[in-house]
Amino acid sequence: MNTSPLRVTVNGQQCCLDVPGDAPLLFVLRNDLGLNGPKYGCGLGQCGACTVLIDGKSARSCVIPTSGAAGRHVTTLEGLGSKTALHYVQQAFIEEQAAQCGYCLNGMIMSTVALLQKNPCPTDEQIRNALAHNLCRCGTHVEILKAVRRAMQLAAAEKEPK
Amino acid sequence: MTRRADTPYSRRDFHEAQGVLLITREPPPAPPPVKGQPAAVPGNPAEGVEILIAVWDDGSVTALSGHVDLGTGIRTALAQIAAEELDVRMDQINMVLGDTTRAPNQGATIASASIQIHANPLRAAAAQARAWLLSQAAAHLDAAIDELEVNGGIVSVRGNSEHAISYADLVRGRHTALLLDLNTAVKRPEDYRLVGQSTPRVDIPSKAVGELTFVHDVRVPGMLHGRVIRPPYAGADHGDFIGNTLESVDESSIAHIPGIVTTVVIGDFVGVVALREEHAEQAMRELAVKWKEWPALPDLANLEVALRDNPSTRRVVANQGDVDAALANAAVRMDRTYVWPYQLHASIGPSCAVADWHAERMTVWAGTQNPHVLRADLAKLMDLPDVAIDVIRMEAAGCYGRNCADDVAADAALLSRAVGSPVRVQLTREQEHQWEPKGAAQLMEIHGGLNADGSVAGYDFQTSYPSNGAVTLALLLTGKVSPQPIAYEMGDRTSVPPYDYQNLRVTINDMAPILRASWLRGVSALPNSFAHECYIDELAAEAGVDPVEYRLRYLKDDRAAELLRATTERAGWMPHVKPQQQEADGDFLKGQGVAYARYVHSRFPGFGAAWAAWVADVEVNRNTGEVHVRRVVVGHDAGLMINPDGVKHQIHGNVVQTTSRALKEEVKVDARTNTVISKEWGSYPILNFREVPVIDVMMMPRNDQPPQGAGESSSVPGTAAIANAIFDATGIRFRQPPFTAELVKAALSPPPAEPANPPRTRRPWWAVPGALLAGAMGIGAAMLGWKSAIPEVTRIDPSIYSAEVIERGRRLAAAGDCSVCHTASNGVRNAGGRALDTPFGKIYTTNLTPDPETGIGKWSFTAFQRAMREGISRDGHHLYPAFPYTSFTKTTDDDLMAIYAYLMSQEPVRAEVPKTALAFPFSVRPLMGLWNALYLKPGPETADPARSAQWNRGAYLVNGLGHCTACHTPRNELGAEKFGKYYLGGAMVEGWEAPPLTAITHAPVPWSEEELFRYLRHGHTEHHGVASGPMLPVVQELAALPETDVRAMAHYLASFNTPVSEQEAKKASQELVTASRLGAERVVNADSRLFTTACGSCHHDGDGPALVGVNRPLVLNSNLHSSTPDNLVQIILRGVRETASHDAGYMPAFMHSLNDQQIAQIAAYMRQRYAPDKPVWNDIESTVARLRNAEHAKN
Repeated sequence: MNTSPLRVTVNGQQCCLDVPGDAPLLFVLRNDLGLNGPKYGCGLGQCGACTVLIDGKSARSCVIPTSGAAGRHVTTLEGLGSKTALHYVQQAFIEEQAAQCGYCLNGMIMSTVALLQKNPCPTDEQIRNALAHNLCRCGTHVEILKAVRRAMQLAAAEKEPK
Repeated sequence: MTRRADTPYSRRDFHEAQGVLLITREPPPAPPPVKGQPAAVPGNPAEGVEILIAVWDDGSVTALSGHVDLGTGIRTALAQIAAEELDVRMDQINMVLGDTTRAPNQGATIASASIQIHANPLRAAAAQARAWLLSQAAAHLDAAIDELEVNGGIVSVRGNSEHAISYADLVRGRHTALLLDLNTAVKRPEDYRLVGQSTPRVDIPSKAVGELTFVHDVRVPGMLHGRVIRPPYAGADHGDFIGNTLESVDESSIAHIPGIVTTVVIGDFVGVVALREEHAEQAMRELAVKWKEWPALPDLANLEVALRDNPSTRRVVANQGDVDAALANAAVRMDRTYVWPYQLHASIGPSCAVADWHAERMTVWAGTQNPHVLRADLAKLMDLPDVAIDVIRMEAAGCYGRNCADDVAADAALLSRAVGSPVRVQLTREQEHQWEPKGAAQLMEIHGGLNADGSVAGYDFQTSYPSNGAVTLALLLTGKVSPQPIAYEMGDRTSVPPYDYQNLRVTINDMAPILRASWLRGVSALPNSFAHECYIDELAAEAGVDPVEYRLRYLKDDRAAELLRATTERAGWMPHVKPQQQEADGDFLKGQGVAYARYVHSRFPGFGAAWAAWVADVEVNRNTGEVHVRRVVVGHDAGLMINPDGVKHQIHGNVVQTTSRALKEEVKVDARTNTVISKEWGSYPILNFREVPVIDVMMMPRNDQPPQGAGESSSVPGTAAIANAIFDATGIRFRQPPFTAELVKAALSPPPAEPANPPRTRRPWWAVPGALLAGAMGIGAAMLGWKSAIPEVTRIDPSIYSAEVIERGRRLAAAGDCSVCHTASNGVRNAGGRALDTPFGKIYTTNLTPDPETGIGKWSFTAFQRAMREGISRDGHHLYPAFPYTSFTKTTDDDLMAIYAYLMSQEPVRAEVPKTALAFPFSVRPLMGLWNALYLKPGPETADPARSAQWNRGAYLVNGLGHCTACHTPRNELGAEKFGKYYLGGAMVEGWEAPPLTAITHAPVPWSEEELFRYLRHGHTEHHGVASGPMLPVVQELAALPETDVRAMAHYLASFNTPVSEQEAKKASQELVTASRLGAERVVNADSRLFTTACGSCHHDGDGPALVGVNRPLVLNSNLHSSTPDNLVQIILRGVRETASHDAGYMPAFMHSLNDQQIAQIAAYMRQRYAPDKPVWNDIESTVARLRNAEHAKN
């Protein structure tokens, strides 16, 4: 068990976490840092509801011990943007109404951010593959796929010289 | 800024407020109890009148409904209705749903009735509020009411917008309460401005940025974390054993976990409360709970038989013409049986609740579907009056019916009462899967046939639906409610077919559940329609008539017929009178299927919701049997749609979910106990993005017709449309979903019968040698047994050693992995006490700190040197060769001195370790004297002058301190390392395989020196696997060694392998990966689905998400190419919780989520998928069982 505090940067803030190092990162983000974005879905990395970014890469926070995030940068849904300053992927999901119950929404948005950072112009097949292990029970897939495509457009528009 | 509409927390807050107009209603009288229908709980008159609308003096409006938003968007649709009737903007409305403290009691949110039926009081109340406000405004503005218009809550005289007054001003300074008049005139649909317009959902922005929305996100000051431990009878809901199967709970079993607050035991209800969530979860896993024997559940291997055998009561709901005579005279008799499997609601978020108990009063935050029913349940459970409980409804993951939301609320209530603090209970994925009231299995039997002219002779339909409302679990487990079988009368939904059959009989066999079951989207209507719609397809085929045309002959409902025509036209329906008329596309057979249904919900005869028709296009892979639903065209007639985009999204959702249910979903049960074993997504896969069809929605323009429920309707005909399309593609009828690849493949090409392989049992390798050893050992014992003690010394002052020497000793000790064995789990480093499992028994390691009493404080260097060289303890007793002195003996005196200096420089730790007590004859330590005479070659070896200094350094480390052979070299009958070709040839240790390190390696890519170095230095490599199991701490310790030493070890080890360059290794690796991706034989079955869903988010062929952590292609993983599955099974069971470096990546342990058989399925699939040239592993299941229960795993 880890006894010394862990230093993790969460949403740009340096956090000194006095928590058991083997505690799942998900629990620490939610319970110790009061974040709502990452959701508990399966604890097995299967459904993607708990997705966060670690050093910019998609990560399933339910299977990563907090010690595994030490010294790294963790970004959650809250760290992307707020209602008044939306991240373009959040904006795209709202515009396409890509949520029914919204429980999987965190994972869908975070996975899309990770995908588009790596590949700004994915094909439809690449999008489906990248999201294939983010489960949605409401069947919002059609709207989510549209939201990813809209996010690509918004990202492209942001990059254009104004 | 807080709006007034957001502030009231109770009815009293509304009633006592000033500056408000309220529309209220008397709580409706208690409905008469209706047999077999979902419970209805009357409002309590003590709570006063209910509030439907509050118009506030800041212009905001509270609108209240007793129904809740299950993810379907009714929060938005209801707000639209209220805003429309009031003529205010959407953003002026705060829609309050479902709280018992504020909202009216309108029963459970079920049966697609929220908009169709339960919106009416709200609509009338909003209209009534507007009418009153207009009458007040007319007086203020001195104008006639019909001269006024309203916009955004501002009333003005038409044509003179300056002459205006706001609702806010009209209610200011007063408290007006009007009793609801349901006869109030509401707007005409042609006057709607907001209703009927696609309106963005009001809840999505908050959810997209992570604001507090879900019950999972509720945090209350002082909140603790609870977990429950469920009984072994997963999925049972009746029987005498329920509530009294607990034998004992041993709280001392979790005493080692920090922050445990309490353990709660009431009947079969067991829960734990802890300060931290991870500790509550750990306590849930580790609490020792004993359960008594209990009778297994009824056999569910054959659902048809199980449902026939389940006691039932017959209920005829339709009987017209003379069915018996008609069937007796039929030209063709067609009797068919359709079976529906158990399915899950499968909410993405397992249920969660927070309860806050104060003596005599309690607040519960819950994701319930029926707040007032839950409150009544909680009152019963806690012996409180209902009005002493506030149920605050928060959003939850979509449930599509009755999941565990109420169960967990009751769990939280019990735990909160026990600790007197707020407690949050989160069910695990496994608990939600196992215990949620299932969507019931269902049996539909049709006796029918055709007349000679192809018309329908008669239709005798029977349906059996074993389901009820699912008594809240804690009521059963604590014995508050007697665990009797309860049968509901809910099998009758859409039981009467939509077709005008002259001779018709419909019989419902009402029955109690077999597995705990309750309503799931489409309830019994979905399976009933599956049978109706498949059967009419069968009739059409038999009659040689196109299925659409045949339906239209019998579809007398004009709206339905119009919908069916429009839908098939939109889909480009290809009329056909027999299957397989479309040309196959290579291996893909193509088919088109149609179905129609109007969902008839609520108590029989019920109400019709929206009309829906499907045309599904499928492709069936004739080699694998896979069915892909390529496109679905859905026609939908919901009358007036409040929010057309919302309806469209619901239809999309229904299509995806229904396709998933049709193709993939089926609850699996244990063959022996029939309890639920689908505990995670691998064993209960749902449709994923790769499989989503193209969905084309056609919504009928019917704004002039009343709104009809749209939450479920479009799911109802779906399965039949898919089954009919599969028939069209293959000519084969499938009458029991899910239509999995293996089912379809077996029907397309039935395999020849194979004799079953008898399971093989393996004898442990030490069984024979152990016996031999016992005999042989007796002989020379007396001669060689005893050694003298070396006198005690006072503890050496470590300051006599230089810091450099101590540091060198620290590194050498790391090379020797001293602390790996001499540190107990969670114990102090080097203080001993770790149990090592050997074939001869359990050996406890000793305390290596310089404590004089319990450690090596009194050891002189000579004593230490003798122990390392000869395996003799200071007092003269023999050590067992679990302590690898046969390797350590090769260490130079200089190095031994440095290690001694380091050990003596440690902080002494007083720690008694358990005594090693092997069984006779191994307990006779002097026997080791003989053993040493045979197998110990004491002292350092001389360097090989023919080899380089680096090679010799590597040999010294590998064979000496590194004691690599201790694990990687097989041992003989007497437990000694073998020689020659066996050297580093691979062995089993502590339930893991230490793989061969020489040229006989089973790694598919040869190890290069560079790869060996990377592995030892970083714990993972490019062309091989990741260091895990017992190798992980070795790599962690090696981190203390300088790079030159690790390189020397790699150089030495590489000399036993066929030399391979980096480039060659890379090329071999790439070729393997490519071949594995392209050339693998495609096998699609339950095993592949299990693997793909359970493991595929990380382990894919480069066509899945890129997640944090290295993720080497599995084809390169040596463990998959080994002759034993042990290492693979170990990793699946225990996961990777610790890694040698950050970038290696983690893996969850699956031991709690998958049973032995499921893990064996995954391992078998991985073997044939990634090592197809290797023989299959036999009897993996018993390997899983052995390793799951292995003693060493419990340390």
